[in-house]
Parts: sequence; C-alpha cells; structure tokens
Amino acid sequence: MSENSKPVEASGSVESEGKTLSNKELKELKKKEKAAKRAAEKEAKGISIEDQKKIAEQKIEKNKQVTTNTKLKKQLNQTLIKVEDKNRIPSLFSHLETREQRNAQSPSISHIVHPAILSLTLKYSSYKIVGSTSRLKNMLQAFKTVINDYKTPINTTLTRHLTGHLSVQIEYLKTARPLSVSMGNAIRWLKQEISHISIDTTEIQAKEILVSKIDDFIKEKIDFSDQVIIEAASQHITNNCTILTYGHSQVLEELFKYCAIEQDKTFNLIIVDSRPLFEGKKLLINLANTYNIPESDEPESDLESISTKGFKQHPITQSNLKIHYVLLNSLSPVILEDVDYVFLGAHAMLSNGRLYARVGTALIAMMCHTRNIPVLTCCESVKFSDKVQLDSVTTNELADVDDLLQSINSKKPPQKKSFALEQFIKQCEEEKKAENKSNSKNKQQQQHQQQQQKKSGDISINEDLTTDESPIKNWRDIPNLNILNIMYDLTPPEYIKKVITELGSLPPSSVPVILREYKNT
Amino acid sequence: MIHTETKADYSTNTNKMSVITPEIQSLIDPVVSGLKRHQIVGDKVIALAICHLLMKVISAARWTNPYDLINIIRKVGTILNTGYPKKIISGNIVRRVLALIRDEIETENNDNTPMMSSMFSLLSTNSTGNQKVQYNQSKKQSSDFRSIIIQGIRDLEDEIANVNEGIETMSVDLIHDNEILLTPTPTSETVLQFLIKARAKRKFTVLVTESFPNDINTSHKFVKKLAENKIETILIPDSTVYAVMSRVGKVIIGSSAVFANGGCLSNSGVTHVVECAKEHRTPVFALAGLYKLSPLYPFNGDDLIEVGNSGKVLNYDDFKLIENVEIVTNPLDDYISPEHIDIYITNVGGFAPSFIYRIVLDNYKTEDNNLE
Repeated sequence: MSENSKPVEASGSVESEGKTLSNKELKELKKKEKAAKRAAEKEAKGISIEDQKKIAEQKIEKNKQVTTNTKLKKQLNQTLIKVEDKNRIPSLFSHLETREQRNAQSPSISHIVHPAILSLTLKYSSYKIVGSTSRLKNMLQAFKTVINDYKTPINTTLTRHLTGHLSVQIEYLKTARPLSVSMGNAIRWLKQEISHISIDTTEIQAKEILVSKIDDFIKEKIDFSDQVIIEAASQHITNNCTILTYGHSQVLEELFKYCAIEQDKTFNLIIVDSRPLFEGKKLLINLANTYNIPESDEPESDLESISTKGFKQHPITQSNLKIHYVLLNSLSPVILEDVDYVFLGAHAMLSNGRLYARVGTALIAMMCHTRNIPVLTCCESVKFSDKVQLDSVTTNELADVDDLLQSINSKKPPQKKSFALEQFIKQCEEEKKAENKSNSKNKQQQQHQQQQQKKSGDISINEDLTTDESPIKNWRDIPNLNILNIMYDLTPPEYIKKVITELGSLPPSSVPVILREYKNT
Repeated sequence: MIHTETKADYSTNTNKMSVITPEIQSLIDPVVSGLKRHQIVGDKVIALAICHLLMKVISAARWTNPYDLINIIRKVGTILNTGYPKKIISGNIVRRVLALIRDEIETENNDNTPMMSSMFSLLSTNSTGNQKVQYNQSKKQSSDFRSIIIQGIRDLEDEIANVNEGIETMSVDLIHDNEILLTPTPTSETVLQFLIKARAKRKFTVLVTESFPNDINTSHKFVKKLAENKIETILIPDSTVYAVMSRVGKVIIGSSAVFANGGCLSNSGVTHVVECAKEHRTPVFALAGLYKLSPLYPFNGDDLIEVGNSGKVLNYDDFKLIENVEIVTNPLDDYISPEHIDIYITNVGGFAPSFIYRIVLDNYKTEDNNLE
C-alpha cells in the first residue's frame, strides 16, 4: 500500500518544517493515518486491497459532490456577507430586509439554476422587467422553458422532484427582488398543478400538460382578465374628460390604448411620475409608440385605411390623448382642479381592503379623496392576497439606496449593475488595492499622475454635469446619515371608491369575498 | 380716512411728473435685473439687498416734504414689484420702510396736534389730512428726518440678519427627545439653523424629502449638513411621505412668504406633505422671519406661484416625448392654506395662523397695502 508510506513521510516533514503546516493539513494527515489503520484492520478481516480501493473511491466521489455544493454555498455566502456591514438602514426601518440579507439567507446554488431564470433574475434586479403583471408573465414564461428542459432524475417521479427543482429556481429568483404577491399566488397554483399529475403519466406528457396549463393560466388570469377589466373601466372614460394616473400599470396602459384606438375617444391624461424609477415616463413612451392604424389583416380596414391615411403617421398621444406630464411634487391643487377620475395600478389588494402599490400611490389617492375625485383601481384577482397590513412601514421592500444617488438630475431610471457584477468589480478593486500597496513608490507616483490626468479629463468632460453627482455620494462615510428607499406604500380603503377586477367591480371592503371565491375554484 | 390720504398722495404724484430721477433709476436697475435673472437668490439676501437699495435711494433723493419721500419709495416698490412680481419679500421690505417713515411723520405731527383717540376723530380727520400735504420741513429738519429713517432701515437690516436667532430660541420648547421630524423644505436656511440649535439640547431624527427636480442638490447638501451636526438624518424620496407620516411627530416647513390670512408660500411639493400631515393629525410648524409676513391677501393662489424650467421635468433632448406631450409643468412654489398650518414661528414668537393679520397690522400701514 502506497498510502501507508505517505503518512510516515508527511509526519516526518511536520517535524522538519515545524509550524509551517496549517491546522487543515494536520487534520488531513490524521485522516490519512486513520484510513491506513482502518485498511490494516479490514485487511486483517479478510477484505482484499482492491475491494477496499473501490469502496474508498466511491466514498471519495460522494464526498466530492457534497463538498462542491457546500463549497459553492460557502463562496456565495462569503461574497454576499461582505457588503452587509456597509449598508445602513435607519433604525425605524431596520426590520425591513435588505437585499444582502435576503441573498445571504437563500442558499443559491447557481449551477442548477436554469439559464432562463438566470437571465430573468438579472432583468428583475436591473428593473428591466418591472411591474407586477410583467414580472408574473415573464416568470411563467421562464418556468415553461425550465419545465421543458427538465429531466426527471432516476429513482424519482416528476410529481415529487419537479416542485423541488422549481423551488431552487424560485429561491434564486428571489435574490433579485422578493416575490410579488401575484407571483406567489401563481407559484402556489403551479405547485398544486404539479402535485395533481398522476404518477402514471409519462414525462413528456406531464410536461405538455403543465406547459399548456401555464399558457392557460397566463391567458385566463392575465390576458382575458385584463380585457374584462378594460371593458368595465372604459365606461368611466368619456370624451373630453380628464384622467389622472400614477406611474405605470400594464392594465391601465392597455385601457388608455383601448379607449383611444378601439373606442376613438379623446381625453386628457395627466401622468404623474416620481423618482427613482420614472415609470410614468415608461407609460408615456409606450403610448407615444402606439399608432392609431387600423389593422391591415381585416378586410374592412383596407377601405378605411385609405380614408384615414392622414392619421396613420400620428401616435395616439397626438390624435386622441392630451398628455399632461408632471412630477409628484408639482401635483398642486391647480392640476387636480378638473380631474374627473383617478386610475391607479396595484401591486396587491390586501384582505383588509388596503391597496399595496408603488410608493406615492397613497399620496395621490389621499389628495384626490380630499377633493372628492373618485379614485378607481384596476386589479386582476391574481393580485389579491389574504395578508392583512395596516401600515406601509411594517412590511415593505427595500430598494437599493444607490438608485437615489446615481446621476440625480438625469430623469431616467437608475442604470443598475447586476449583483454578481458589483461583487466582481469590488473584488477587482480590492485586488488592485492590494497590488498597489505592494508596489514601489515610483509606481504610486505614476499612478498619482495618471489619476490626476484622469481627474482633469473628467472635469473637462463633466463640467456641465457637475450637478449630476450627488453631494452625498459617499453617504456611507457620514455616520448620522441614512437614506430610505422603499418600493411600496399602503392606501387605506376609504380613499378608494371602486376596485375593478375581472370578477366585477366592487368596493375595497369586498376583497376578502373575492379571495374566498378564488380559493374555492 | 385712508381713502382721502391715498388720493392726496396720488395728486402729488401726478403733480411732479416723474418722482424717479435718472440717478435713482440707475440705483434700482441693477437690483431689478439681479432679481429677474435670479442672481440675487435666497430670501434673506433679497431682503437685505432691498434694504440697501432703499437706503441709497433715500440718501440720493431730493425732497422737502416727507410725503414726497413716501411717493418715491412707493414708486420704487412698484418698479421692484413689476420687475419680479412673484417675490413678495421685496414688497414687504418697501412697506416696512414706508411704515417707518409714516410712524416718524406721526410722531413729529403729534408734537403739534394732540393725538386724537376718540371716536370723533373718525369724522374730523379730513381737515388734518389736507394739513399734512401742505406740511413742509425746513432743511435742518429734513436732514434729521433722513438720518432717523436711515437708522430705522439699519435696525431693519439687523433684524433681518439676525432673524434666525429669534426663531432658534423656540426650538427647544417645541421638540422633545427622540422625536421624529419631517421637513419638506431643504432650501430653508432657517429650518437648518433651527434644527442645529435644537440638537444642542435634544436628540431627534429628521426626515428630509428630496424635492426633486428643483432642489435635489440643495436637499442632499442640507442632509449632509444636518448629519455633520450629529443629527440623525434620513433622506427620503418625495413619494415616500405618506408611507412614513404615521411615524412622524412633527412637520417643520420653511416659508418664502406669509400672507395676512395665515396662508404661506413654500417650495413645490409642500402642499401634499401638509395635507398628509393633516390626514395623520401630525402638527405642522411653519418657520418665518417677520420680514416674510405680507399684508397682502392671496385671493388667487395660482397667481402667486412661479413656474420654472420644464426641462427639469422632461429633458428637451427627449424630443420624441416632448412632441407627444401637451403640457409639462414645473411649479417652483406651492400655496399652503392656513388650515394646514398649526403654528407660525417667527422671530417675535409663535402665533396661530388666524392671528397673523394682527402681527401684520403692527408692522405695516394699511395705506401702503397697494403700492400703486
């Protein structure tokens, strides 16, 4: 046995090198010694050396699998925890979970995460996909590809293993942003559907069933629901009326398009917007890109298109809508004077009738309520939650503070780097620092010169944009300074006149009724 | 009585075709253009600039009758007002100086005629009004008068310069330990000093709104200054006000002008903060120096609001959006109605909004409410 001789050599080296060996190495040595002892015992029992080797190899392989997993976790966690001490949260809001805490909690194992989920996570965290509905839709689409690419491992069934597999994906998805209420509802539904599949169905069949069910869910719960909601809500928009809306909501965007194109109504639309996400601008862009063109597929429209050729070039924002774009701060009583209806989007409707939506919604609902302007909200029943909450602060989503500090005058949503990239950049910077320290003084001087050159270059470029940089960019160095950036707030039911859902229009107090109906079906 | 007097003033005004000599005009012009171009910014700076201007005008102007001086000052007031009608403070200072002159005339007159304090004086003043117009001063008297007025303006300047001290002293009475305050006016130097002074005796947290788009830089600097003064500071976006209001103990706002009805002008975005405070029954303090009190009534709140660069709301280079938008507004101020304010804190004490008209009467003469 070759192993037998090694420990002896090694132990000899320990003596010769003294304290140079670390604890780890010592432990390994002890292990090897033990192994040697065991081998000797086993040999004495009558098991051949070759058999022993085989068994040992198997064991090692097993161990390897485990270690790689744990190592990955460790690595991930180590990189995650690094940031934690730097992000301070004001003591009032310290119960809210930061992104770092969230990431540290979830054991993200990146190698079994599907690429579709990886890219989706990236899009979530960079606010490329934002808004409850589009987040839900994209998640379900990603799940479809995950299910299609899924292969049931040997010795398990799809019904049992797929849910676990999906949970891992969801865990990873959570590292970008916490799940929305609608996403939570959809996931619960999907898991239930998976468990309903009988064990006898083949893998391919089961996949087909699930994919078609997801498609149906998207159609039924989002697309068709939206259509029903739009039809119900469109009766409130009449010619020459003034509608106020805040931020961006998928249903409301569709509603305004529907009213302008299908019903050919002309109305004033006040879009209220706020920092840092500028979702109102997104609504504005989407509306400005919508043209009032009769669809060429229909045979009738061919005749019409000739007569309406003049209209063809104009987006609906010029032909049908008069848009008034203001920021939340400018929402003075003057603007609210002749508003007929306020339409608000929703992130979730809570069981106690409160509307959980983008931060700022409650403020608008309050201002309009005191001026007797009816406040309506359009909300699919997927967004209904059985949670109860009384206060915006107790549960909320903390967004990244740096979103508020990046280019403060740019009027654009924050340009975000992905978490992994941030980590990588930080690591590189640290390595650079370490290198710099070890370098000689000459090099430092050179670098100084370079930096100075850089600085002077920067100044020449940024002369006009000096105001763009926040004076508190280094806020982490100022001990008493905190910045709060939360995503949602809670609108009390008394401000809301009507909730329009695909199941009908109802007062906010009837939300639990819908919840009960929805759960039964 | 007031009516006849203003009439008399008008008659003298028309008699001398132009009370503003080129010499005085040359003094006024740089100030007016400075205001117009927003080169003179900050309420206090403007107030001091106006004081300085009036002092120069008084020493440069030639007059024999103190009522001629009043006409000159009134004319200066109208020029300043037409130059920058949205700035109430310039008018306030002019009116303060006018009240000073009128007080001085009264004390001099009182030496000649006994003060009439009975109800009968209401009917008998007609004759004294005519007497005043004819009243002329000797050269020595007028030079004395001039120096008295200039001394009065110096005192006014002192008052304006030290306005924060008077307000600061009240801070300890109004803030308790571990309180959470919110201020939506990071542009106000008075609020900053008030909070820093309070920190000496109390420990508290201040929430500051960002005031996007007009004052976001100032807001970030304001937050930095507070934090450097060891005040626990939290910067919040404007949209978060409702979400945090349930935790706030007091709202402190700075004001740029206070009207006789108790309403005031403040930064844009303050309306929704105070309405939110009202909804949550959170008390609202407005800080204002005495010189910000105006005898005017805000009959039409919209006229008082200055509108700023709409490029700050929607970039001009974003022409795709610009051509698709009908209106983009960027108001710089907000009018806050008196029912949304609980207390005004001035350098002469704290007052309820309903009492502001009395303070106004103490400092201004009703005949000067309309300068034209």
